[in-house]
Amino acid sequence: MKDSVGRLDRAFNPRSVAVVGDKMEMGYMWLRSLANFQGRVYSVQIDEKELQGIAALGVKNYSSLLDIPDEVDYVVVAVPRAITPEIVQHCIQKQVGAVMLFTSGFAESNTEEGIRLQKNITEMAREANLNLIGPNCVGIFNPKIGLRHTTDQYWGDGGNVGFISQSGTHATFFTLVGEVNGIRISKSVSYGNAAVLDAADYLEYLGEDEDTKIIGMYIEGVENGRRFFCCLREIARRKPVLIWKGGGTEEGIRATASHTASLAGSPLLWDALIKQCGAIKVDNLDEMVDTIQALLYAKPTTGNRVGLAAMTGGQSVVITDAFARAGFEVPLLTERSYREFASFFNTIGSSYQNPLDISSNLPHLDRIIRCLDILNDDERIDAVVLDLPVVFMTRISWHIPGFFDDLIDALALYKDKSDKPLLAILISAHAESEAIQARKKLVARGIPCFPSFERGANVLKKVVAYYKSASLQ
Amino acid sequence: MVMDEIIAAARKEDRTSLTELESKQILKEVGINTTEIGLARSKEEAVAYSQELGFPVVLKIVSPDILHKTDVGGVKLSLNNKEDVGNAYDEIISAIKKHQPSAKIQGVSVQPMARPATEVIIGMSKDPQFGPVLMFGLGGILVEILKDISFRIVPLTGRDANEMIREIKGYPVLEGYRGQEPANIAVLEQLLLKVSEFVESKPEIKELDINPIFAYRDSALAIDARVILEP
Repeated sequence: MKDSVGRLDRAFNPRSVAVVGDKMEMGYMWLRSLANFQGRVYSVQIDEKELQGIAALGVKNYSSLLDIPDEVDYVVVAVPRAITPEIVQHCIQKQVGAVMLFTSGFAESNTEEGIRLQKNITEMAREANLNLIGPNCVGIFNPKIGLRHTTDQYWGDGGNVGFISQSGTHATFFTLVGEVNGIRISKSVSYGNAAVLDAADYLEYLGEDEDTKIIGMYIEGVENGRRFFCCLREIARRKPVLIWKGGGTEEGIRATASHTASLAGSPLLWDALIKQCGAIKVDNLDEMVDTIQALLYAKPTTGNRVGLAAMTGGQSVVITDAFARAGFEVPLLTERSYREFASFFNTIGSSYQNPLDISSNLPHLDRIIRCLDILNDDERIDAVVLDLPVVFMTRISWHIPGFFDDLIDALALYKDKSDKPLLAILISAHAESEAIQARKKLVARGIPCFPSFERGANVLKKVVAYYKSASLQ
Repeated sequence: MVMDEIIAAARKEDRTSLTELESKQILKEVGINTTEIGLARSKEEAVAYSQELGFPVVLKIVSPDILHKTDVGGVKLSLNNKEDVGNAYDEIISAIKKHQPSAKIQGVSVQPMARPATEVIIGMSKDPQFGPVLMFGLGGILVEILKDISFRIVPLTGRDANEMIREIKGYPVLEGYRGQEPANIAVLEQLLLKVSEFVESKPEIKELDINPIFAYRDSALAIDARVILEP
């Protein structure tokens, strides 16, 4: 086991947490987010005005970390920057498992004091071998033990996806958007300026973590590029690693400096590195979520030929354009498939070439599933894509009660016996909240779904490329 | 080892830029095909080398002080006989004396004129974060206009070499587009791997530029090369 792995175990799985400097002005966000923490929570605050609010939360307060009569595994620090060296010193004396600095205003502020303070705490932590996360971050999320950074996050059941993010916003959004899309976190970390612990440390940790099957990363820059390269190359062979690189443009590079004081590096080189290591490049949060969802729920394929089933004529045309533009073949099917379609498919107002326009066959669940079965069995098809326009689906449920739910049940059964990936596309039109509910239901049954044909085509392209690349290893 | 001697000599002269001749000698030592070179210190030597190597030949100025040989009249191509070679030698020397009188002249290299082929380039530079990085691309002006190049971080695996050649947009040109002589891709892959291994083993190399390489059906030949040492 690598050094950083054992080192970070206490940080990611703490049994006791201390919050230093939480206050009313921030709505006691840290103490509140720890309301369901499966361990002991302490507060450290010397401001008399805050003591009542902290007591009201049922948390025991101390005037110094050093006064806590217990081991402390993980410390959240939200004090003004000038006080951070003193707190870091206490963490060293207390021999805590890790300290996370929510405090910002360090190197990223590009002020003399900020740079000096960051250098100061970095040197202290390095010398004492203290695990310092950040500064300028929100730290660790471990849902299994209720260690969160916002009360919006779930807790209880953990998942199998790890996330490592230089940005707190992306770490938080990924966990929240991911949840709606069937992605649950094993462990995630936002690590800000990476003064002491950097991307490679967290990657090594999650690379060894048995609960983590897939790793997503948002990176603005790395200090030691070679170490990151070696680490990524080794881990991406064992687990899918997705990299979303912030600062991929000249303008973006300028922004990374003021956000996390990172050297963004050449975008061309980052592209080469990701490819060379067998990792997956994604360019935004949507791609991150879509690709992980597909890796989790769609059966793997390395093939390029899609069978497309749309519910209306107009959609059958544009779904085909979307997949063809992304580089997929939409081939004609075998004679055998066409003979089967001819035996049951109502072609008045519909068609079954490929793409399929299911239209007039619609309310019949058995016919929809039969269409998918034919595509699944057709040797010319590698992946099946089903258009599920949320508005039409829910409207059918008005006169055929339970239609959409029954369809989802039938799709789940189909998926279990099929051997090719099935992707559902749920276009919400104006019914965004209905679409989210439907998406949750589908993904809960293991059916990956995406909000547009273009996103579906893009994600299929990404996972096909990944499985191809992995098969060449 | 020729390489170590060359590097030591450059260090002694306090220069980091190696000449084409020195650079090619190093490449040769690591098993990379380059054009044969004779270093002529007089007109007579130039003629003798040209007869030995076979016409047509190319004459190029050899000087650590001259980076862009063509710009100062330091290159003469397609020399088909003794007289042409002799004249070219004189012309090069007088051109240098006129355009860059302070340049230290080591001599004039005589090289056989290689049969033209598809040109590719291989370069190595060092990234502050990732260390040595290899670049591959098609040579000639297209690469400059289209920036059709691929990168990999050293050390390369066989798969990296395979992919970095195939991912350039101009790859069909290497396959022999419309009856052109195809390049030998396996040879180019081996070449990339050799360069990767070489730069990994010699951290004192700061930059390497092999440009152009003629890519033939059965081989590849480094036509020009430049090595820059770490300060």
